[in-house]
Amino acid sequence: MPHKLSEIISWPEQREKAKSYFDSYGWPDNRNEAWKYTSLAHLQEAEFTATSSSVPSKTSPADLEGLSVQISGNMLQLPPKDAIPAGISITDITTDDGARAAAFTYLADNHLLPALSAMHQTSAIAIDIEKTDSASPLPAVIISLTGSSKDGACYPFVVVRVHKGAEARIAELHSSDAGLSCPLMVYEVADDAKLHHIRLQTEASHTTHLGLNQMQMGKNSQINSFAISMGGALSRLETHSLFHGTDAELAQSAIYLGRDRQHHDITSFVAHEMRDCASRQLIRGVLDDKARGVFQGKVRVAPDAQKTDGQQMSRALLLSRDAEADAKPELEIFADDVVCSHGATVGELDENLMFYLKSRGIAEDDARNMLIDAFLVDTLDEIEDPDFAAFMTSQINRWSLARR
Amino acid sequence: MNLLEIKNLHAAIGDTKILHGIDLTINRGEVHAIMGPNGSGKSTLSYVLSGRDGYEVTEGEILLDGESVLEMEADERARAGMFLAFQYPVELPGVTGMSFLRAAVNARRREAGEDEVDQLEFVKLVRAAAADLGVDNEMLKRAVNVGFSGGEKKRYEILQMALLKPSLAVLDETDSGLDVDALKIVSDGVNAQRGDDCGMLVITHYQRLLSHIVPDFVHILAGGRIIKSGDKSLALEVEENGYAGLVNAA
Ligand SMILES: Nc1ncnc2c1ncn2[C@@H]1O[C@H](COP(=O)(O)OP(=O)(O)OP(=O)(O)O)[C@@H](O)[C@H]1O
Ligand SMILES: [Mg+2]
Repeated sequence: MPHKLSEIISWPEQREKAKSYFDSYGWPDNRNEAWKYTSLAHLQEAEFTATSSSVPSKTSPADLEGLSVQISGNMLQLPPKDAIPAGISITDITTDDGARAAAFTYLADNHLLPALSAMHQTSAIAIDIEKTDSASPLPAVIISLTGSSKDGACYPFVVVRVHKGAEARIAELHSSDAGLSCPLMVYEVADDAKLHHIRLQTEASHTTHLGLNQMQMGKNSQINSFAISMGGALSRLETHSLFHGTDAELAQSAIYLGRDRQHHDITSFVAHEMRDCASRQLIRGVLDDKARGVFQGKVRVAPDAQKTDGQQMSRALLLSRDAEADAKPELEIFADDVVCSHGATVGELDENLMFYLKSRGIAEDDARNMLIDAFLVDTLDEIEDPDFAAFMTSQINRWSLARR
Repeated sequence: MNLLEIKNLHAAIGDTKILHGIDLTINRGEVHAIMGPNGSGKSTLSYVLSGRDGYEVTEGEILLDGESVLEMEADERARAGMFLAFQYPVELPGVTGMSFLRAAVNARRREAGEDEVDQLEFVKLVRAAAADLGVDNEMLKRAVNVGFSGGEKKRYEILQMALLKPSLAVLDETDSGLDVDALKIVSDGVNAQRGDDCGMLVITHYQRLLSHIVPDFVHILAGGRIIKSGDKSLALEVEENGYAGLVNAA
């Protein structure tokens, strides 16, 4: 991993850079190409306090087992030291500027979401997963991000380092009721390491959620990542995935589910810098009522990244006439020996299929739900870890049931 | 009481009038065959009966067990006992056969005030019915109709009929795409449903099917009207002479 000390900008410098960036650009609106479909103009007048309520007593969901890490605004609750098995360490780095600066290195570019984090960070933790000799797998780490109030904002920062040869399972559960929620997550997956990752966003119906997941991949590493966005008023999940070594594999899929006037944006950037790597992304959106969905997916293949296999497919299903979906897939290929494909479709429920189901006595709502499930099932199949798969499937079912 | 009574039925798809006054009565235990040239309105009639959206009844009445079905949605009609075996069954990617069949059977059971079927018991039930129709277990595991051959799709329609036990079954060209052996198997499946409880409307182009599923009545549909009705000998007559003479005489 290109973790050169010389590249690290000190934390105070980082903050200064962020401030000057934000002072010159402010909140983007539709005139900004990267925010063409998702304007943040509503935040210009908003004022948030970066305070927090206490850590809620509610721990991680019963149907997902693992080590529970809770972040509620500036409050942290880490598992007791004796509950953490060898191979895992969890550290509060909120006041450790050196550690924060080191984890921030890759994010030095001028970019809104890291800038917000650098300016306002309310809490920061580092999770290290190391290869163990033990035959039994390490427990999953379940990070619950909650807290704050309608006029509050949260800026949690989490860096997860999966060290050489280790296998980690990390779940991010975003369910704050803050006015503004800006989590920044950095995943560094070292050579020969593997990360199983799920991310569930079920924020409050008034929340603006601006999340950034940064994935760094070493040689021969693997990431199996899956996100569901279903909460919030306006939600954007940006994923930036960078290949730093050859022979790495990224499977990164996402589902967004929108109703009422929700706005869901999935923006992804995959940078193939090294040869012989593969990325595979399936994006599915289901939009009801007046909900809006956006998928922006850029795949960049550098000149040296020969034999890259980059696949991306996004599909949106509109359940109502007033729902809307936009997709902007982009391939930037500078190498000549690659296999890359992308595609995007937007469609409605097929009347022929609806009639077939109804002609068998299946009621309208049940028929719709069967077809929605059918639309999502192959994407859910991408989740390798069985516990994670069951958990995410149950979340989709919850949404389908609430539709009725 | 008559099982099905169609009275002076006129129907349109959008602005296009397709059916121009059809009268037809089917009693329990009877098998009626409908034959007719391509485009005469046979499939349209089957969709109008099943309540497909976009098929508008502009005049006339459809009574099932004496009650009008015109205000009923397709799913309500199905739960009331109607079944349509599609001329072109659709593929349902991502919908597994077992969950689909179970949803359909349970919908019908709930309507009848019966308990939902136990999962294990249901699997046994389906396997037995499937074996009778030459539908193998592999097909049951796949998504509904996805990757099925034309003939397999037709068998799967009859499997659904066998599980749902409708009081009125409309079979739209169930014989097309079937090889000789499959035709025999499917016909046996249909004949097994025949009985005092069930009435059938069998749409076909070929006498061949009607030698397996012997009809009580044969009707000729042309230009959206029934131009002639008779017994099974009418089917033989059509096979011999085609429709031209009948259409011209009408
Ligand atoms: N969606 C539609 N819009 C307008 N006209 C239609 C539509 N569907 C069918 N038709 C027309 O209605 C008429 C009857 O069609 P239908 O499919 O009922 O015929 P059919 O008797 O079943 O023919 P076949 O023997 O070929 O199956 C045809 O003229 C056809 O073109
Ligand atoms: Mg037809």
